[in-house]
Amino acid sequence: MKNTIKVERAKKNWTQADLAEKIAVSRQAVNSIETGKFVPSTVLALKMAGVFGTTVEIIFQLENTD
Amino acid sequence: MDNTKKAPRNKAALFAAIWLVTYTICLFTIKKLSPGASTGIILSLLPVVTFALFIYTLIRGVASMDEVQIRIQMEAAVIAFSLALLMIMTLGLLDLVITLNKEDWGYRHVVPYFAIFYFIGLIISKRKYD
Repeated sequence: MKNTIKVERAKKNWTQADLAEKIAVSRQAVNSIETGKFVPSTVLALKMAGVFGTTVEIIFQLENTD
Repeated sequence: MDNTKKAPRNKAALFAAIWLVTYTICLFTIKKLSPGASTGIILSLLPVVTFALFIYTLIRGVASMDEVQIRIQMEAAVIAFSLALLMIMTLGLLDLVITLNKEDWGYRHVVPYFAIFYFIGLIISKRKYD
């Protein structure tokens, strides 16, 4: 699964730590989700979409291998 | 991560230390002072209380973690459990072939290995998600 978290963060000028604080997770969690090492739960994905002011489909997209 | 979420984990570390101290004191007392049977049984069961408190705070600590940290803990526990099973199985088979010295390979000697296996699992799992 690919994501646009880095792009969305850049738009808001947020660091990983800023995003982590807003969705109440560790910076390590944000990093592992952003780099595709961990696929978040629906709740966390919705929280992310909420703070970015967008939808989950914009942030997370399935790849052909998924 | 805010400090309120770190508090349960710090509490778990504190109770781990309390259990370790209790266990060491009881072990030392039983081995060196050779108390009577009833005192010995009480001393043997005493670390159960502190261990139960440690496990309770550890579970509460894990519950307060985010989903990546919970995954790390889960994978660390799986690795530790597998290694512990492997060790017990190997020692059990070896014990059929050669007589293992109980002063080197008794139940109490394998306990520290379980903690080592957990930390090995933690290192492996943390690296995976860093």
